[in-house]
Amino acid sequence: MTDLTTLGIAEAGRLMASGALTATKLTEAFLARIATVDRTLSSYVTVTADVALNAARQADMEMSGGLRRGPMHGIPIGLKDIYETAGIKTTGHSHLKIDYVPAIDAETVRRLKAGGAVILGKLGTHEFANGAMTPDQPFPPVRNPWNTEFQPGGSSSGSGAAVAAALCMGAMGSDTGGSIRNPAGYCATAGIKPTYGLVSRCGVFPLSFSLDTAGPMAWTTEDCALMLDVLAGHDPNDQASAKTPRVDYGAAAQRSIKGMRIALAKSWYEGPDGKLSKDMANGMEEAVRVMRDLGAIVEDVTFPDIRDYHICGRVIITTEAHAIHRRDVIERPEKFGYTTRRRFQLGAFLSAEQYISALRFRRKLQQDTREAMRGYDLVMTANQWGPPEIFEEPAQIFHFLGKPSLSMPFNVTGQPAAAVCCGFGADGLPLAFQLAGRAFDEASVIAAASAYERATPWRSHRPTL
Amino acid sequence: MTSSIKAPTLEEFRARAALTGLTLTEEDIGHLHKGYVGLIGLMERIPQRWAWAAEPPQVFRADE
Repeated sequence: MTDLTTLGIAEAGRLMASGALTATKLTEAFLARIATVDRTLSSYVTVTADVALNAARQADMEMSGGLRRGPMHGIPIGLKDIYETAGIKTTGHSHLKIDYVPAIDAETVRRLKAGGAVILGKLGTHEFANGAMTPDQPFPPVRNPWNTEFQPGGSSSGSGAAVAAALCMGAMGSDTGGSIRNPAGYCATAGIKPTYGLVSRCGVFPLSFSLDTAGPMAWTTEDCALMLDVLAGHDPNDQASAKTPRVDYGAAAQRSIKGMRIALAKSWYEGPDGKLSKDMANGMEEAVRVMRDLGAIVEDVTFPDIRDYHICGRVIITTEAHAIHRRDVIERPEKFGYTTRRRFQLGAFLSAEQYISALRFRRKLQQDTREAMRGYDLVMTANQWGPPEIFEEPAQIFHFLGKPSLSMPFNVTGQPAAAVCCGFGADGLPLAFQLAGRAFDEASVIAAASAYERATPWRSHRPTL
Repeated sequence: MTSSIKAPTLEEFRARAALTGLTLTEEDIGHLHKGYVGLIGLMERIPQRWAWAAEPPQVFRADE
């Protein structure tokens, strides 16, 4: 048998179902690897070894008795530390919540546990899913497993780093402006930002009510799909939760993409605000070629300007995040990291009219995007401009002042979007593109991303640690 | 821009900051001023004129 920590979720499930592997053995392998490897990465802020081993033994007992709870039964995973966990600290990577122990699980955590998943621990994040990793926070910054001099992307930094370093089989992230897709892209994992409303956010620390999504990260898109099979579904305790028909996402990963029509949003990454790095440009070009070889029809399509989505999303996040954290930034500003604090303070300077205009603009962008997508199943575009930031360089306080975010369009429109690794640059750092579908058509996104992953060698490359 | 906002000077911004209820250091004000000026510059892309009844995406639903 190969190294247990690099098994896929589907493969591990098959081995456990056949009795060739136990959840306990699998969990012990991950706990041992975390103890050895995570000293250099700091992807975990809390490791729940005893809880994990108890859950694994329970899963083994159930499976040996013929009970199979589904694709996540006995699968070791990690949770971004903004997911509330009963009896386990949930810090948001912040001094403000350093001793916070929730009484109940987030709905997503409840679903994962009910599906038999084994929780290995809580993963590092940008503070409250918005700030940066700064030295005034309670935990060390998460490092990129491909090169620890570089940042792993954020805000689901620990989730991306832990999945890439084989420190869990899957992880929960959250995505308000790209926080699943950024670390997925920079760490070479798969990650899906679901359609707004598909997965419950109840019990997940909010950043921006009208944009927040919770979603899976794993080594392959197929593994993300298996997690989504457990996660998706209506939750009456989340006001944005949609009532949608049940979909078999795992099965979608096996679908052919022959004849699928893909709109290439090239103007977003070849516009006036900058160009991709040479490696990313080559990676994109090659990814388009592979999709065409797989039978998809890829055509250039003009979408609204990337800067429109960028500023629309930033105004909404800045205003809503201020409303959520206003009391603490007034009463205990010193408890925030210096970047987070200022990002949350800025919303105090925006007017109600500016916020409402951004919301109106959002509806217009959503309609215009839908119009541009008419006749196409998916949108394809770059996931990142180039390599991640290096640790030595001080991060910008306000990241919206840099290049426009390539991930923001699908937060603004609410569409599902996946980050897909498309190779490695000359510097050894990962490259990635995005595939986005129509609202609630995660199945097409999963089908196309999985077909690409099977057709390319990138899923067999792991960081050396 | 959503309304005709001229970029404030640091002094004008400091006066406005005093009305926000935030406890701000001089360094905070410097960073926030830079961020605010950058943000309102980018906000010129957001249309200023909307039909008066153009409803934003979040609507209140009485049945929930």
